[in-house]
Amino acid sequence: MLEVDQLTTRYGAITALHGVSLRVNAGEVVALVGPNGAGKTTLLNTVAGLLRPAEGAVRFNGADITGTEPATLVRRGLALVPEHRRIFKDLTVEENLRLGGATLSASQRRHKVHEMADVFPVLRAKWSTSAGFLSGGEAQQLAVARALMCDPKLLLLDEPTLGLAPTMVDVVFDLIARLRTKGLTMLVVEQNATRALHMADRGYVLRTGHVVADGAGAELAADSRLFESFIGGSAEESGAS
Amino acid sequence: MSSALQRLSRSTIASAALLAVVWALATAYMQTGGSSRALLIGEMLSNFILVLGMQVFIGNTGVLSFGHMAFAQIAAYVTAIVAIPVAAKAKSLPDIPFGLGDVHLGPFGATIVAVLVTVLIGALFGVAVCRAGGLAPTMITLAALFIVEQVVKNWQELTRGAGGLTGIPIVQGNGWLWLGAFVALVVAHQFQETRIGRFAVATREDELAAPALGIRLFTSRYAAWVLSMAFIALGSSLRTQSLGNVNPKQFTLDAGILILVMLVVGGMRTVSGAVLGTVLITVGNELFRQLGDPQRWDIERFPDLFLGGVMLLVMVLRPGGILGDLDVAGWLRRRMYRRKEPTQVEPVAGDRTLSAEGIIVRFGGFTALDGAGLQVRPGEVVGLIGPNGAGKTTLFNVITGLVPETDGRVSLGDLELSDATPVQVARAGLARTFQNLRLFKNLSVRDNVALTSLVAARHRAHRVRPDVDQLLEAAGLLDFADRPADTLDYGNQRRLELARAVALAPEFLLLDEPTSGMSDAESQAMVQSVREMAATVGAGVLVIDHDLGFITRISDHIVVLAEGQVLAEGTPAEVRANPAVAAAYLGSQA
Amino acid sequence: MTKLLQTLVDGLGVGSTYALLALGISLIFGVMHLVNFAHGELITVGAYTSYFFFIHGGSWWWMPVAILASAALASVFTELVAFRWVRNASPFTLLLTSFAIERLSHALWQIFISPKQRTFRKPSWVFNQFSLGSVRFEVMDLVTIGVTGVTLVITAVVFKRTLFGVAVRGAAEDFDAARLMGVKANRVISGAFAFAGLLAGVAACLILMRTPAAEPAMGADWLLKAVIAAVIGGLGSFTGAVVGGLVLGLLETFTRAYLPDVADGWDRFSTAVVFILIAAFFVVRPDGVFKVSHAERV
Repeated sequence: MLEVDQLTTRYGAITALHGVSLRVNAGEVVALVGPNGAGKTTLLNTVAGLLRPAEGAVRFNGADITGTEPATLVRRGLALVPEHRRIFKDLTVEENLRLGGATLSASQRRHKVHEMADVFPVLRAKWSTSAGFLSGGEAQQLAVARALMCDPKLLLLDEPTLGLAPTMVDVVFDLIARLRTKGLTMLVVEQNATRALHMADRGYVLRTGHVVADGAGAELAADSRLFESFIGGSAEESGAS
Repeated sequence: MSSALQRLSRSTIASAALLAVVWALATAYMQTGGSSRALLIGEMLSNFILVLGMQVFIGNTGVLSFGHMAFAQIAAYVTAIVAIPVAAKAKSLPDIPFGLGDVHLGPFGATIVAVLVTVLIGALFGVAVCRAGGLAPTMITLAALFIVEQVVKNWQELTRGAGGLTGIPIVQGNGWLWLGAFVALVVAHQFQETRIGRFAVATREDELAAPALGIRLFTSRYAAWVLSMAFIALGSSLRTQSLGNVNPKQFTLDAGILILVMLVVGGMRTVSGAVLGTVLITVGNELFRQLGDPQRWDIERFPDLFLGGVMLLVMVLRPGGILGDLDVAGWLRRRMYRRKEPTQVEPVAGDRTLSAEGIIVRFGGFTALDGAGLQVRPGEVVGLIGPNGAGKTTLFNVITGLVPETDGRVSLGDLELSDATPVQVARAGLARTFQNLRLFKNLSVRDNVALTSLVAARHRAHRVRPDVDQLLEAAGLLDFADRPADTLDYGNQRRLELARAVALAPEFLLLDEPTSGMSDAESQAMVQSVREMAATVGAGVLVIDHDLGFITRISDHIVVLAEGQVLAEGTPAEVRANPAVAAAYLGSQA
Repeated sequence: MTKLLQTLVDGLGVGSTYALLALGISLIFGVMHLVNFAHGELITVGAYTSYFFFIHGGSWWWMPVAILASAALASVFTELVAFRWVRNASPFTLLLTSFAIERLSHALWQIFISPKQRTFRKPSWVFNQFSLGSVRFEVMDLVTIGVTGVTLVITAVVFKRTLFGVAVRGAAEDFDAARLMGVKANRVISGAFAFAGLLAGVAACLILMRTPAAEPAMGADWLLKAVIAAVIGGLGSFTGAVVGGLVLGLLETFTRAYLPDVADGWDRFSTAVVFILIAAFFVVRPDGVFKVSHAERV
């Protein structure tokens, strides 16, 4: 469904991604893990069209989407739940959801908003509250619900459990599991690497802008390269991706 | 001191060179026709002084002001009131208050009085302008414009209102204006060489990094403001005495914008830019004024078209102005630069311990730090690690005074730093770097380091202070010393930020992710760099990094933060072996 | 009591015009951090449009439509030809760009129409008076307050109820997040400029009904007041813009009406007093009444 081919992205003088390649097949949940600053968020933002890559290509359902506007990608069924959630704090919960359905027709949007209210009872309780008043867990659910409004085929999740209390982390992992049973394809960036890899079908380990390991989720969780990627391996090891 | 003399001669040479070019152009122009040309040159020269006045404040501090014309107006009216002969005044201003009717000064006296009065009023107003941040200063200057305009229009006894004053004795010839322009040029150049002027430039480049390196925003901005008032008063007073009349129409916002365009088009950051802009706009304005055909169009108002067009083009194509950061003085400075003899001084480690205890920080309902604390002993390297969102940077911000703690205590030896401002913290001996690099981007690599070295010379004189070039050499940056900081590649920008912090001669260096964005080879080299550079000033180090490999290699002691609390601490080996740490990083399966 | 009511109505009248303009300025600042000093030119555009139609037999029955349309179009046009090209530049550059537009606008009217004032007809009923108890009002006072009230209600509905309004508010808070929702950057910015143009058009109608005249630099004074009002309210805050506008209007009329009571001869300096108060306010609250925070990571 998603193919990332030799992607290189720069911010000014910083090269955050050095020719990263990965793929996500339809129906899969793929985890992307690695230490802070490895380029995970950059990768997702580039795929979602927020950043333009310097080199390389991104294909979605066979079509080249390199450097396409996010608005177009959302219409084609690719949605990103960004790092730090970035819900609109000044808007109410309902308005956040409506904006999530920006690409839908008015009647579809109304229908979808009601559907989300059923799927996320927590949000229904806070319907007309400014999203800035939500707790971390509620805000994360809103961020996911907002992205689901446009009926995506592929959902990119960036650090969905960041800053959440442990019980809320469970809620979010349950949510991901539920979405998976509905057949949604997901690429998840997660700091809780072990848990994310155990849940995922496959995983990639990113370090300093390179893929240093990949494989089936559970195997990768046990791979020594995973811990090494966090503690910093030698230059040769991570250079050879 | 010889270097002060050197600076003055440099300013003088640069000023003379610039003015010589203008003078040559003016002379050539005078050859082509009659005496009206002298008027145009006079107008350009007085604009010149006004533009330099704006450059001193706006160009150096980056704070936009619309209000400079208000103070030009004050100066012009003061000049008129003291310069108009007593007999003429009795007629035109019969009810003049404060016994001003009996005052009559010559051109020199009138200019001096105008400058003094304007600087005094401007200095009072400047307290308001320089205290506020964001857009407020600009709005305050706009308010100044309205206030002065209203007072002038309505204080009939003193100003004769909208009609203005005439009969000011005219000073013939442009000699005074040339002299005034030269003095203004030298002083504007010189200001950029002085400590306070360079500090003002630092605040323009980064409002957050400058205080974190011990540079007070208010002081440097205020100095620039007061000096700029003197320029404005001088230019306005001379202009009034060459025109012979004054009225409120000469000081509208539009008139101020004309001066602003001159500054911005040439390049507001340098004096050379201000000069170029003044000449270009004056010439272009005049050309477009002559382009108008009164038969065909209703009026000769083409200058507005020119001004608007030029400004739009420059903003879209070259927002820094035509010259950007190029200037004669800078070129001279680089040419005349001589490296000092390297000196070897043994660094002495400080004897104070940096400690933070029981720090609690809440943002709204969110608790970022929940009782975290740590200690760094003199000369020690302490690593601060933890997963994303653990509160590492917040702890840095609390220690350096950027974020107020809800509870807890920060101290350096006996010195309480809990309520200290970033400037106080920096001057007390803590130098920091920032997670997303906050260099003074438009300044040269050397200037970035030299600026903090200046702070050190003033506030850290009791410590061993490193030589700027030795620091650059140690950081491997000497070859790029004259390049603008933002043209360096990323690794070098990180090293430059480190060198800049070290130049403060701190007792402790606080480094926020010094290796982020670096390759493994580069971060390995960074271990050496940090250790060596800290050693040259005998500083302890507190370093945040996500790269455990880097942290283990560099640290004597590691503190692990998770969810705003200290999860574990100990030697690198102990921390590596601690299963809780691996769990914090990789998460558990639960 | 009569004086108080009269002053209040006057103040609300001027203040509501400031409010409409300030709202547009705040709106555009919200979506692209531009303090638009060219916003006042939209009044000028409206004025020349009416002038043009009146010499061709226009009537006040449909003139407001023409004014609104021309102001909205002109607003979108400035974005298209100028602001789009500096969209990611610093606020300083953006602001100076708007000055360039302002200057060009002055120049074009001067060259192609005339630097002199052009007048046309006002509606006949504007200065008709009517009494409410002991107080006499002009019809225009009522119209001004009524029209502003309706416009503000419509604005509130647009921003609360329509997707466009929600998108603009979302984009003002976090532009990239709004793009991730499928909101097109160009469309939301153009839309914001169009809406700000409509608001300026309403303000222009109110101004022109009282003083039906077109002049190249007529927008400048209104604009400066409106910018100050927007900053008083807190740039980016819509409520703030309305509050700022009304406060400024009331402050002006009340100092003008009541300052002479304090000290003789002071009425001449009423505007100066207002701006001294404003300067003092900015020293105390540099971010305005309703501070809009923009998250910045250190």
